[in-house]
Amino acid sequence: MYLFKQMKNILLFICMMLVAKSNAQELYVYTEPASNIPAHLLSTRIMTSLYKKKVGSGTNIHFMPEIRYGISGNLMVQTQAFISTRNESLFAEGGSIYSQYKFLNRDEIKRHFRMALFGRASFNRSDIHQEEIETVGHNTGYELGVIATQLLHKVAISSMLSYERALDNGSQNEFPKTQDNSATNYSLSFGKLMLPKKYVSYDQTNFNLMCEFLGQRLNGSGKSFLDIAPAIQFILKSRTRIDVGYRHELYSTMLRSAPNGLLVRFEYNFYNVLTKK
Amino acid sequence: MKTILLITVFAFITISINAQIINANLIASGLTCSMCSNSIFKSLKNISFVESVESDVENSAFKIIFKTDENVDLDALQKAVVGAGFSVAKLTFVMNTNSLDVKDKSLVEIDGKTFYFVDMKDKTLNGKVELRLLDKEFNSPKEYKKVKKKLYSDSEKRVFNVSI
Repeated sequence: MYLFKQMKNILLFICMMLVAKSNAQELYVYTEPASNIPAHLLSTRIMTSLYKKKVGSGTNIHFMPEIRYGISGNLMVQTQAFISTRNESLFAEGGSIYSQYKFLNRDEIKRHFRMALFGRASFNRSDIHQEEIETVGHNTGYELGVIATQLLHKVAISSMLSYERALDNGSQNEFPKTQDNSATNYSLSFGKLMLPKKYVSYDQTNFNLMCEFLGQRLNGSGKSFLDIAPAIQFILKSRTRIDVGYRHELYSTMLRSAPNGLLVRFEYNFYNVLTKK
Repeated sequence: MKTILLITVFAFITISINAQIINANLIASGLTCSMCSNSIFKSLKNISFVESVESDVENSAFKIIFKTDENVDLDALQKAVVGAGFSVAKLTFVMNTNSLDVKDKSLVEIDGKTFYFVDMKDKTLNGKVELRLLDKEFNSPKEYKKVKKKLYSDSEKRVFNVSI
């Protein structure tokens, strides 16, 4: 697809630019930062991903609506639904619950270092068609991990390490016995606030550039992959967020159905939900 | 012995006076972006005794105006910032005073709150006075380290360490 190629080139260029300068802010598109969402914030998201199929032609389209809530400044919960166009029409594959706890917080003016633990449990009833383990939209299973994020004024760097375990996708789609059912995931993310140069109000549109590296290694066979995922982000009126990212496989030694593709996310935040004034 | 002495000193110098806290200036740390600043702004605005909040996004600074005749809970301001996911790096507040005698290293009860004055000459305060909170949770770790030794440390009661 021509669109994919063009988009890829542009985003790869952005990525190189970012890394060369050594560094969005930390509202990453493909990973979560160690910073949680504020207490009593209700965040609603809808994410659409279009991934080009590696085998055969066509595009895998996924819709993932999501709700997040900040129980306290240190603890947030999230629930997500997985819908795809796998069978031509919309198909509800499953859903997940996610929780993140920030256990370390060191703040200085325009700087911070934070660490958080997270856990995800997912259910999915679709067929298993790849060696890659992905509990967001593909596999039933769980993921446990740790995140560390450093903010240095307009630049943020974050890293994640996790253990992911796949289970049977319901009774209809058992996890193949010949495949590795657990993996180690890792990521390294860079983000930079590009605009505005100087803040004067909450109404200014923020423009962020991100570049993320996303990797997985299957624990048994040692098969692995590494992806690069540049993204652009707009924040409108300090409460609406729009992400556009492109994920591209740098190398892979495992079978993946559709590693390359586009992601578009829309987020809207409601403040002070479930609080008494 | 030290405790007995402190209690004695405390008993002698504690005077209860009515004085209204009018406004506060707060600088938050741990953020750069406007979405983060907006989270703090929204949680400060949601506090019951807060009348209005003005923010300076670039400097993560907030000017908070309190409702008149309402009890101002300074700790609630800090909790709102932490709840938003950030920290307080500096907090100063303006209080209306009327012939308020304060001495260096002394405890004064004002409007139901106990303040401990440090780094100042003995004087009588009149009119609007700006005070800075020196407590750990209202300062960056670096700033707190500088003043830590001068602060009143009796955990029995909430004492606000302040300087002018």
